[in-house]
Amino acid sequence: MKTENQRAWFLVAPVVLLVAFNALVPLMTVVNYSVQETFGNNQFFWSGLKWFEEILTSERFQAALGRQLFFTFTILIIQIPLGIIIALAMPRRGIWVPVCLVLMSLPLLIPWNVVGAMWNIFALPDIGLLGYFLNQVVGIDYNYTRDPVAAWITLIAMDVWHWTSLVVLLTYAGLVSIPDAYYQAAKIDGASPWAVFRYIQLPKLSRVLTIAVLLRFMDSFMIYTEVSVLTGGGPGNSTTLLSIDLVKIALGQFDLGPAAAMSLIYFLITLAVSWVFYTVMTRNEGK
Amino acid sequence: MRRALAVLALPLVPLSAAAQQTQGWGQLNQQAETGFDWTAPAFKDTGIGWMAWTPATLAFFGVILTLILLMCVLEWRRPGGAPRDGVLGLTTTRGDRLFISLLGSAYVFIGWLLVMGTPVWGGLALALVWAAFVFWKV
Repeated sequence: MKTENQRAWFLVAPVVLLVAFNALVPLMTVVNYSVQETFGNNQFFWSGLKWFEEILTSERFQAALGRQLFFTFTILIIQIPLGIIIALAMPRRGIWVPVCLVLMSLPLLIPWNVVGAMWNIFALPDIGLLGYFLNQVVGIDYNYTRDPVAAWITLIAMDVWHWTSLVVLLTYAGLVSIPDAYYQAAKIDGASPWAVFRYIQLPKLSRVLTIAVLLRFMDSFMIYTEVSVLTGGGPGNSTTLLSIDLVKIALGQFDLGPAAAMSLIYFLITLAVSWVFYTVMTRNEGK
Repeated sequence: MRRALAVLALPLVPLSAAAQQTQGWGQLNQQAETGFDWTAPAFKDTGIGWMAWTPATLAFFGVILTLILLMCVLEWRRPGGAPRDGVLGLTTTRGDRLFISLLGSAYVFIGWLLVMGTPVWGGLALALVWAAFVFWKV
Protein backbone atom coordinates (compact mmCIF):
# COMPACT_ATOMS: atom_id res chain seq x y z
CA MET A 1 0.00 0.00 0.00
CA LYS A 2 1.50 3.27 -1.08
CA THR A 3 0.36 6.12 1.13
CA GLU A 4 2.96 8.80 0.52
CA ASN A 5 4.65 10.42 -2.40
CA GLN A 6 8.39 9.90 -1.95
CA ARG A 7 9.37 12.27 -4.70
CA ALA A 8 10.20 15.03 -2.23
CA TRP A 9 13.44 13.23 -1.46
CA PHE A 10 14.83 14.47 -4.78
CA LEU A 11 14.56 18.01 -3.44
CA VAL A 12 17.11 17.07 -0.79
CA ALA A 13 19.62 15.97 -3.41
CA PRO A 14 21.41 19.35 -3.79
CA VAL A 15 21.99 19.52 -0.04
CA VAL A 16 23.25 15.95 -0.01
CA LEU A 17 25.68 16.82 -2.78
CA LEU A 18 26.85 19.94 -0.97
CA VAL A 19 27.34 18.09 2.31
CA ALA A 20 29.17 15.33 0.46
CA PHE A 21 31.68 17.82 -0.86
CA ASN A 22 32.22 19.96 2.20
CA ALA A 23 31.84 17.37 4.94
CA LEU A 24 31.91 13.76 3.83
CA VAL A 25 34.89 13.91 1.49
CA PRO A 26 37.10 15.73 4.03
CA LEU A 27 35.92 13.39 6.79
CA MET A 28 36.75 10.33 4.71
CA THR A 29 40.16 11.81 3.98
CA VAL A 30 40.75 12.34 7.69
CA VAL A 31 39.86 8.70 8.34
CA ASN A 32 42.30 7.64 5.62
CA TYR A 33 45.05 9.83 7.04
CA SER A 34 44.46 8.55 10.57
CA VAL A 35 45.63 5.04 9.72
CA GLN A 36 48.65 6.02 7.66
CA GLU A 37 51.88 7.88 7.90
CA THR A 38 53.00 10.47 5.40
CA PHE A 39 56.14 12.46 4.85
CA GLY A 40 54.54 14.64 2.23
CA ASN A 41 54.72 14.20 -1.53
CA ASN A 42 51.49 12.18 -1.44
CA GLN A 43 53.35 9.11 -0.17
CA PHE A 44 51.49 7.12 2.44
CA PHE A 45 52.54 4.19 4.58
CA TRP A 46 50.10 2.04 6.51
CA SER A 47 50.33 2.39 10.27
CA GLY A 48 47.09 0.76 11.42
CA LEU A 49 45.61 2.00 14.68
CA LYS A 50 48.98 3.08 16.03
CA TRP A 51 48.12 6.78 16.03
CA PHE A 52 44.87 6.21 17.91
CA GLU A 53 46.67 4.20 20.55
CA GLU A 54 49.42 6.78 20.84
CA ILE A 55 47.04 9.72 21.10
CA LEU A 56 44.70 8.03 23.58
CA THR A 57 47.51 7.03 25.92
CA SER A 58 49.56 10.21 25.55
CA GLU A 59 49.72 12.50 28.55
CA ARG A 60 49.65 15.46 26.24
CA PHE A 61 46.24 14.56 24.81
CA GLN A 62 44.79 13.65 28.18
CA ALA A 63 45.98 16.96 29.63
CA ALA A 64 44.50 18.93 26.73
CA LEU A 65 41.22 17.04 27.06
CA GLY A 66 41.18 17.74 30.79
CA ARG A 67 41.75 21.44 30.21
CA GLN A 68 39.05 21.45 27.54
CA LEU A 69 36.48 19.81 29.83
CA PHE A 70 37.43 22.12 32.69
CA PHE A 71 37.02 25.15 30.45
CA THR A 72 33.67 24.00 29.06
CA PHE A 73 32.15 23.12 32.44
CA THR A 74 33.42 26.32 34.06
CA ILE A 75 31.89 28.58 31.44
CA LEU A 76 28.63 26.59 31.51
CA ILE A 77 28.39 26.87 35.29
CA ILE A 78 28.90 30.64 35.04
CA GLN A 79 27.05 31.48 31.82
CA ILE A 80 23.81 29.55 32.24
CA PRO A 81 22.80 30.91 35.70
CA LEU A 82 24.15 34.37 34.85
CA GLY A 83 22.21 34.38 31.59
CA ILE A 84 19.00 33.38 33.38
CA ILE A 85 19.48 36.07 36.03
CA ILE A 86 20.09 38.78 33.43
CA ALA A 87 17.11 37.65 31.35
CA LEU A 88 14.87 37.70 34.42
CA ALA A 89 16.06 41.21 35.25
CA MET A 90 15.42 42.55 31.76
CA PRO A 91 12.24 44.61 31.20
CA ARG A 92 9.36 42.88 29.39
CA ARG A 93 7.79 45.98 27.88
CA GLY A 94 8.60 49.64 27.29
CA ILE A 95 11.35 51.49 25.47
CA TRP A 96 14.12 49.77 27.41
CA VAL A 97 13.38 46.41 25.76
CA PRO A 98 15.07 47.23 22.43
CA VAL A 99 17.91 49.00 24.22
CA CYS A 100 18.61 45.95 26.36
CA LEU A 101 18.30 43.58 23.41
CA VAL A 102 20.71 45.59 21.27
CA LEU A 103 23.19 45.91 24.12
CA MET A 104 22.97 42.17 24.70
CA SER A 105 23.47 41.39 21.03
CA LEU A 106 26.57 43.53 20.65
CA PRO A 107 29.16 41.01 21.94
CA LEU A 108 27.68 38.35 19.68
CA LEU A 109 28.26 40.52 16.62
CA ILE A 110 31.99 40.87 17.21
CA PRO A 111 34.19 38.41 15.29
CA TRP A 112 36.03 35.84 17.39
CA ASN A 113 39.52 37.06 16.54
CA VAL A 114 38.55 40.65 17.36
CA VAL A 115 37.27 39.53 20.75
CA GLY A 116 40.59 37.80 21.35
CA ALA A 117 42.56 40.86 20.28
CA MET A 118 40.38 43.18 22.40
CA TRP A 119 40.89 41.13 25.53
CA ASN A 120 44.54 40.62 24.75
CA ILE A 121 45.12 44.38 24.84
CA PHE A 122 42.51 45.06 27.53
CA ALA A 123 44.26 42.70 29.95
CA LEU A 124 47.88 43.60 29.21
CA PRO A 125 49.48 44.48 32.57
CA ASP A 126 51.43 47.52 31.38
CA ILE A 127 49.11 49.24 28.90
CA GLY A 128 45.74 47.46 29.03
CA LEU A 129 42.93 49.12 30.96
CA LEU A 130 42.07 46.03 33.02
CA GLY A 131 45.67 44.86 33.48
CA TYR A 132 46.97 48.27 34.42
CA PHE A 133 44.06 48.89 36.80
CA LEU A 134 44.52 45.56 38.58
CA ASN A 135 48.27 45.99 38.93
CA GLN A 136 48.60 49.69 39.68
CA VAL A 137 45.33 50.63 41.40
CA VAL A 138 44.14 47.45 43.09
CA GLY A 139 47.67 46.21 43.61
CA ILE A 140 47.22 42.60 42.46
CA ASP A 141 50.13 41.03 40.63
CA TYR A 142 48.18 40.14 37.52
CA ASN A 143 49.96 39.12 34.34
CA TYR A 144 48.17 36.69 32.03
CA THR A 145 51.21 36.25 29.83
CA ARG A 146 53.20 34.81 32.71
CA ASP A 147 50.80 33.36 35.27
CA PRO A 148 48.60 30.36 34.30
CA VAL A 149 45.89 31.25 36.84
CA ALA A 150 45.63 34.79 35.50
CA ALA A 151 45.55 33.40 31.96
CA TRP A 152 42.66 31.10 32.86
CA ILE A 153 40.72 33.87 34.61
CA THR A 154 41.17 36.13 31.58
CA LEU A 155 40.12 33.34 29.24
CA ILE A 156 36.96 32.54 31.18
CA ALA A 157 36.10 36.23 31.64
CA MET A 158 36.48 36.71 27.89
CA ASP A 159 34.21 33.81 27.06
CA VAL A 160 31.62 34.90 29.62
CA TRP A 161 31.70 38.40 28.18
CA HIS A 162 31.36 37.12 24.63
CA TRP A 163 28.73 34.40 25.01
CA THR A 164 26.53 35.00 28.05
CA SER A 165 24.40 37.17 25.79
CA LEU A 166 23.41 34.15 23.78
CA VAL A 167 21.99 32.48 26.88
CA VAL A 168 20.31 35.76 27.84
CA LEU A 169 18.63 36.17 24.47
CA LEU A 170 17.45 32.56 24.33
CA THR A 171 16.14 32.66 27.88
CA TYR A 172 14.48 36.01 27.29
CA ALA A 173 12.71 34.65 24.22
CA GLY A 174 11.53 31.71 26.33
CA LEU A 175 10.32 34.00 29.12
CA VAL A 176 8.39 36.27 26.76
CA SER A 177 6.55 33.30 25.29
CA ILE A 178 5.06 32.25 28.65
CA PRO A 179 1.37 33.27 28.61
CA ASP A 180 0.23 35.86 31.16
CA ALA A 181 -2.41 33.48 32.49
CA TYR A 182 0.26 31.52 34.38
CA TYR A 183 1.46 34.63 36.18
CA GLN A 184 -2.11 35.69 37.00
CA ALA A 185 -2.85 32.27 38.45
CA ALA A 186 0.33 32.46 40.51
CA LYS A 187 -0.65 35.91 41.76
CA ILE A 188 -4.10 34.68 42.83
CA ASP A 189 -2.45 31.83 44.74
CA GLY A 190 -0.04 34.29 46.33
CA ALA A 191 3.04 32.55 44.99
CA SER A 192 6.44 33.96 45.95
CA PRO A 193 8.82 35.14 43.20
CA TRP A 194 10.92 32.03 43.86
CA ALA A 195 7.89 29.76 43.47
CA VAL A 196 6.99 31.52 40.22
CA PHE A 197 10.50 30.92 38.97
CA ARG A 198 10.72 27.35 40.19
CA TYR A 199 7.29 26.09 39.12
CA ILE A 200 6.38 28.28 36.14
CA GLN A 201 9.39 29.86 34.50
CA LEU A 202 12.00 27.12 34.88
CA PRO A 203 9.80 24.29 33.54
CA LYS A 204 8.71 26.47 30.64
CA LEU A 205 12.32 27.37 29.96
CA SER A 206 13.65 23.82 30.11
CA ARG A 207 13.57 23.31 26.37
CA VAL A 208 15.20 26.59 25.44
CA LEU A 209 17.79 26.11 28.20
CA THR A 210 18.66 22.68 26.81
CA ILE A 211 19.34 24.33 23.48
CA ALA A 212 21.40 27.03 25.21
CA VAL A 213 23.48 24.43 27.05
CA LEU A 214 23.97 22.43 23.86
CA LEU A 215 25.03 25.49 21.86
CA ARG A 216 27.36 26.71 24.57
CA PHE A 217 28.81 23.26 25.07
CA MET A 218 29.55 22.78 21.39
CA ASP A 219 30.92 26.28 20.87
CA SER A 220 33.15 26.17 23.91
CA PHE A 221 34.28 22.63 23.16
CA MET A 222 35.42 23.72 19.72
CA ILE A 223 36.76 27.14 20.71
CA TYR A 224 39.93 28.06 18.90
CA THR A 225 40.24 31.60 17.61
CA GLU A 226 39.74 33.57 20.80
CA VAL A 227 42.15 31.44 22.81
CA SER A 228 44.65 31.43 19.99
CA VAL A 229 44.67 35.22 19.81
CA LEU A 230 44.50 35.81 23.57
CA THR A 231 47.11 33.40 24.92
CA GLY A 232 48.13 31.15 22.00
CA GLY A 233 47.81 28.24 24.43
CA GLY A 234 50.28 29.70 26.91
CA PRO A 235 51.90 30.46 29.23
CA GLY A 236 53.64 27.17 28.60
CA ASN A 237 50.84 24.79 27.75
CA SER A 238 48.49 25.96 30.48
CA THR A 239 45.67 27.10 28.19
CA THR A 240 46.32 24.66 25.35
CA LEU A 241 42.82 23.38 24.73
CA LEU A 242 42.05 20.47 22.41
CA SER A 243 41.66 22.58 19.28
CA ILE A 244 44.86 24.51 19.96
CA ASP A 245 46.77 21.28 20.49
CA LEU A 246 45.25 19.80 17.34
CA VAL A 247 46.42 22.73 15.24
CA LYS A 248 49.87 22.51 16.82
CA ILE A 249 50.15 18.84 15.85
CA ALA A 250 48.62 19.19 12.39
CA LEU A 251 50.08 22.46 11.16
CA GLY A 252 52.95 23.10 13.57
CA GLN A 253 54.56 19.67 13.58
CA PHE A 254 52.88 18.55 10.35
CA ASP A 255 52.11 15.15 11.92
CA LEU A 256 49.05 14.54 9.78
CA GLY A 257 48.45 10.95 10.93
CA PRO A 258 48.31 11.66 14.68
CA ALA A 259 46.40 14.88 14.01
CA ALA A 260 43.80 12.97 12.00
CA ALA A 261 43.44 10.36 14.73
CA MET A 262 43.09 13.09 17.35
CA SER A 263 40.48 14.98 15.36
CA LEU A 264 38.45 11.78 14.98
CA ILE A 265 38.50 11.19 18.73
CA TYR A 266 37.57 14.86 19.21
CA PHE A 267 34.75 14.41 16.68
CA LEU A 268 33.46 11.31 18.46
CA ILE A 269 33.22 13.21 21.74
CA THR A 270 31.23 16.06 20.19
CA LEU A 271 29.07 13.57 18.29
CA ALA A 272 28.22 11.64 21.45
CA VAL A 273 27.39 14.77 23.43
CA SER A 274 25.26 16.16 20.61
CA TRP A 275 23.41 12.87 20.38
CA VAL A 276 22.70 12.88 24.11
CA PHE A 277 21.36 16.44 23.96
CA TYR A 278 19.33 15.73 20.86
CA THR A 279 17.83 12.63 22.46
CA VAL A 280 16.96 14.49 25.66
CA MET A 281 15.35 17.30 23.68
CA THR A 282 13.28 15.13 21.39
CA ARG A 283 12.27 12.83 24.22
CA ASN A 284 10.70 15.74 26.10
CA GLU A 285 9.00 16.78 22.90
CA GLY A 286 7.16 13.50 22.50
CA LYS A 287 5.61 13.50 25.96
CA MET B 1 90.09 -22.94 -28.21
CA ARG B 2 89.52 -20.85 -25.11
CA ARG B 3 89.56 -17.72 -27.19
CA ALA B 4 87.01 -19.19 -29.56
CA LEU B 5 84.73 -19.92 -26.62
CA ALA B 6 85.13 -16.37 -25.38
CA VAL B 7 84.22 -15.07 -28.80
CA LEU B 8 81.17 -17.32 -28.86
CA ALA B 9 80.17 -16.10 -25.41
CA LEU B 10 80.36 -12.46 -26.42
CA PRO B 11 76.81 -12.24 -27.70
CA LEU B 12 75.69 -13.50 -24.27
CA VAL B 13 77.14 -10.46 -22.45
CA PRO B 14 74.12 -8.27 -23.04
CA LEU B 15 71.95 -11.16 -21.87
CA SER B 16 73.81 -11.45 -18.58
CA ALA B 17 73.52 -7.69 -18.17
CA ALA B 18 69.82 -8.05 -18.66
CA ALA B 19 69.81 -10.84 -16.08
CA GLN B 20 71.54 -8.53 -13.63
CA GLN B 21 69.00 -5.91 -14.46
CA THR B 22 66.17 -8.17 -13.41
CA GLN B 23 67.84 -9.95 -10.48
CA GLY B 24 70.65 -7.88 -9.01
CA TRP B 25 70.91 -4.13 -8.69
CA GLY B 26 67.97 -3.69 -11.02
CA GLN B 27 65.77 -4.86 -8.17
CA LEU B 28 66.40 -1.68 -6.21
CA ASN B 29 63.62 0.90 -6.09
CA GLN B 30 61.13 -1.59 -7.51
CA GLN B 31 57.87 -2.45 -5.84
CA ALA B 32 57.90 -6.06 -4.70
CA GLU B 33 55.03 -7.89 -6.34
CA THR B 34 53.01 -9.23 -3.43
CA GLY B 35 49.55 -9.49 -4.92
CA PHE B 36 46.56 -7.79 -3.32
CA ASP B 37 47.36 -5.81 -0.19
CA TRP B 38 44.61 -4.40 2.04
CA THR B 39 46.88 -1.69 3.36
CA ALA B 40 48.60 -0.56 0.16
CA PRO B 41 47.65 2.83 -1.25
CA ALA B 42 44.79 2.69 -3.72
CA PHE B 43 43.93 5.11 -6.55
CA LYS B 44 47.39 6.51 -6.03
CA ASP B 45 47.92 8.06 -9.44
CA THR B 46 44.37 9.26 -9.96
CA GLY B 47 42.71 12.56 -9.25
CA ILE B 48 41.78 11.45 -5.73
CA GLY B 49 45.30 10.38 -4.81
CA TRP B 50 45.37 13.09 -2.14
CA MET B 51 42.55 11.32 -0.29
CA ALA B 52 45.00 8.52 0.54
CA TRP B 53 42.57 5.64 0.10
CA THR B 54 43.51 2.10 0.96
CA PRO B 55 41.38 -1.01 0.35
CA ALA B 56 40.99 -1.31 4.13
CA THR B 57 39.50 2.16 4.63
CA LEU B 58 37.45 1.71 1.48
CA ALA B 59 36.01 -1.45 2.99
CA PHE B 60 35.31 0.40 6.25
CA PHE B 61 33.21 3.02 4.49
CA GLY B 62 31.76 0.36 2.23
CA VAL B 63 30.40 -1.50 5.26
CA ILE B 64 28.83 1.66 6.66
CA LEU B 65 27.36 2.58 3.28
CA THR B 66 25.98 -0.94 2.90
CA LEU B 67 24.35 -0.70 6.33
CA ILE B 68 22.75 2.62 5.41
CA LEU B 69 21.53 1.22 2.08
CA LEU B 70 20.17 -1.80 3.96
CA MET B 71 18.26 0.59 6.21
CA CYS B 72 16.88 2.31 3.09
CA VAL B 73 15.72 -1.00 1.64
CA LEU B 74 14.15 -2.04 4.95
CA GLU B 75 12.39 1.31 5.19
CA TRP B 76 11.14 0.87 1.65
CA ARG B 77 9.87 -2.66 2.28
CA ARG B 78 8.56 -2.00 5.81
CA PRO B 79 7.95 1.73 6.28
CA GLY B 80 7.71 3.36 9.68
CA GLY B 81 11.13 2.45 11.06
CA ALA B 82 9.80 -0.13 13.54
CA PRO B 83 9.81 2.16 16.59
CA ARG B 84 9.81 0.63 20.06
CA ASP B 85 10.57 1.52 23.67
CA GLY B 86 13.88 0.05 24.68
CA VAL B 87 15.67 -0.60 27.95
CA LEU B 88 17.35 2.82 27.91
CA GLY B 89 13.95 4.49 28.17
CA LEU B 90 14.22 5.71 24.59
CA THR B 91 11.89 5.25 21.70
CA THR B 92 14.17 4.08 18.92
CA THR B 93 13.64 3.30 15.27
CA ARG B 94 15.93 0.87 13.51
CA GLY B 95 17.94 3.82 12.15
CA ASP B 96 18.46 5.06 15.72
CA ARG B 97 19.56 1.59 16.72
CA LEU B 98 22.10 1.50 13.90
CA PHE B 99 23.45 4.89 14.93
CA ILE B 100 23.69 3.88 18.59
CA SER B 101 25.45 0.66 17.60
CA LEU B 102 28.00 2.45 15.44
CA LEU B 103 28.67 5.27 17.90
CA GLY B 104 28.87 2.82 20.80
CA SER B 105 31.21 0.60 18.78
CA ALA B 106 33.54 3.54 18.23
CA TYR B 107 33.70 4.02 21.98
CA VAL B 108 34.22 0.30 22.52
CA PHE B 109 37.26 0.51 20.23
CA ILE B 110 38.53 3.61 22.03
CA GLY B 111 38.16 1.84 25.36
CA TRP B 112 39.87 -1.27 24.02
CA LEU B 113 42.80 0.78 22.69
CA LEU B 114 43.09 2.57 26.03
CA VAL B 115 43.05 -0.59 28.13
CA MET B 116 44.37 -3.40 25.92
CA GLY B 117 46.03 -1.63 22.98
CA THR B 118 46.41 -3.16 19.53
CA PRO B 119 45.37 -5.57 18.05
CA VAL B 120 41.68 -4.82 18.42
CA TRP B 121 40.05 -8.15 17.56
CA GLY B 122 38.68 -8.38 21.08
CA GLY B 123 37.31 -4.88 20.69
CA LEU B 124 35.67 -5.91 17.44
CA ALA B 125 34.00 -8.87 19.20
CA LEU B 126 32.80 -6.58 21.99
CA ALA B 127 31.47 -4.09 19.45
CA LEU B 128 29.52 -6.83 17.69
CA VAL B 129 28.10 -7.95 21.03
CA TRP B 130 27.14 -4.35 21.75
CA ALA B 131 25.47 -3.99 18.35
CA ALA B 132 23.56 -7.22 18.87
CA PHE B 133 22.43 -5.99 22.28
CA VAL B 134 21.30 -2.65 20.83
CA PHE B 135 19.26 -4.32 18.08
CA TRP B 136 17.82 -6.79 20.55
CA LYS B 137 16.96 -4.63 23.56
CA VAL B 138 17.45 -0.88 23.02
